[in-house]
Amino acid sequence: MGLLTDFYNTVAKFFRPQEETGDEASKSVATNRLKLVLMQDRTNLTPKILEQMRGELVDLLSKYLEMDKELLELNFEQEGDQVALMLSIPVIRAKDEEEIEKAIAESNANKVEEDDAEEENESDEESETEEEEITDSDETEKIEDSDNDVNDVSEEEDSEIPAKAKKSSKKEEIPEETIV
Amino acid sequence: MTGRVIVITSGKGGVGKTTTSANIGTALAKEGYKVVLIDTDLGLRNLDLLLGLENRIVYTIVDVIEERCKLKQALVKDKKNPNLSLLAAAQTRDKSAVNAEQLKEICNKLKQKNDFVLVDCPAGIEQGFQNAIAGASEAVVVTTPEMSAIRDADRIIGLLNTKEEITSTRLLLNRVRPNLIKNNEMMSVDDVVGILEIPLVGIIPEDTGIITSTNKGEPIVNDESSLAGQAYRNVAKRILGEEVPFLDLDEPKGLMARIKNVFAKLKAKV
Repeated sequence: MGLLTDFYNTVAKFFRPQEETGDEASKSVATNRLKLVLMQDRTNLTPKILEQMRGELVDLLSKYLEMDKELLELNFEQEGDQVALMLSIPVIRAKDEEEIEKAIAESNANKVEEDDAEEENESDEESETEEEEITDSDETEKIEDSDNDVNDVSEEEDSEIPAKAKKSSKKEEIPEETIV
Repeated sequence: MTGRVIVITSGKGGVGKTTTSANIGTALAKEGYKVVLIDTDLGLRNLDLLLGLENRIVYTIVDVIEERCKLKQALVKDKKNPNLSLLAAAQTRDKSAVNAEQLKEICNKLKQKNDFVLVDCPAGIEQGFQNAIAGASEAVVVTTPEMSAIRDADRIIGLLNTKEEITSTRLLLNRVRPNLIKNNEMMSVDDVVGILEIPLVGIIPEDTGIITSTNKGEPIVNDESSLAGQAYRNVAKRILGEEVPFLDLDEPKGLMARIKNVFAKLKAKV
């Protein structure tokens, strides 16, 4: 009986399509892992920063579009000697004007709050700055400032994204690591 | 005469740079071109062994740079083919004995009197690599279908792209095992090319004959019956501008694979 079962298994295994054997996985796993690691190598962006960038892009685009956030794909692709940022998002529908205005107003409100919170922190920690004396007429300017402040958190890496992404080929004459 | 200076590089060690240099060099010389091979792997020289010239080396590249001999004196002629000669690396010195300017000057001198100057690059991306690429105007990046080798190759390609003098960078995929690719256990040629996105110059199948050819100090291109030898001869032809079709190893084409496919499709229909 056992012999028959063995025989059946052997025969069944032979006719099983390749995808089911797990061999397919080994090669695709390698390809996918490699693609991810090269994306990081080519840009010097860590997975954490990529995730943050993805989050911010989703927030920004959500103001204007209703989309499937789960299926958003963010990739760096080598095109000749340039690295291109490829963003692919399934759009469910474009929002109408009213909704967009509402979303923008909401996000601005959030930013003002964040800004206030930050200012409090700053003043707690250190000097009183001229920002504390901002009047109503300066409100719009202040919001723009707050934009910068929010981004300050990750400015070091963020400011390098476009530069590196575009100039990755021209940039690293002698990469830092090699000097060590 | 102004010859072409081609650097053979890879990033990762052990993927077959030196074997590739020896074979492309020998193949080009067999086609009747004058070729000089330069081993720039100072302290870890091996190109002499693969060519079977280890006993003939008197002067090395460091002797040339430190002016203990003339450039011509340091060139060792191949046993079989007078078109091919080797400028050996120094075994007792390290990479710092040479700088990029000096290597560039040697390449420039050699290309006056040869059709091809092939520079065998050491592994890594440090001084040795910078030296090796200094005089080159073309590059062949050697890799194998393994993650670590491909990652390193990607890094090398990035560095080569920053050098304006290098106008052509092509990929040589080494140690390809068609059986593993058929079973989806190894990345295929298309997978690797899709990731690295540079043009292919050659696909070399894994061949145990490489071991015996190394043992004998006889490049495998001299073996007319070897598949890897044929693949290397094809690489040489492509470097010369000929269009030679690549070995097709990607699709499962064996009888067994076909039967399997038929059954897979039948199953899908049921």
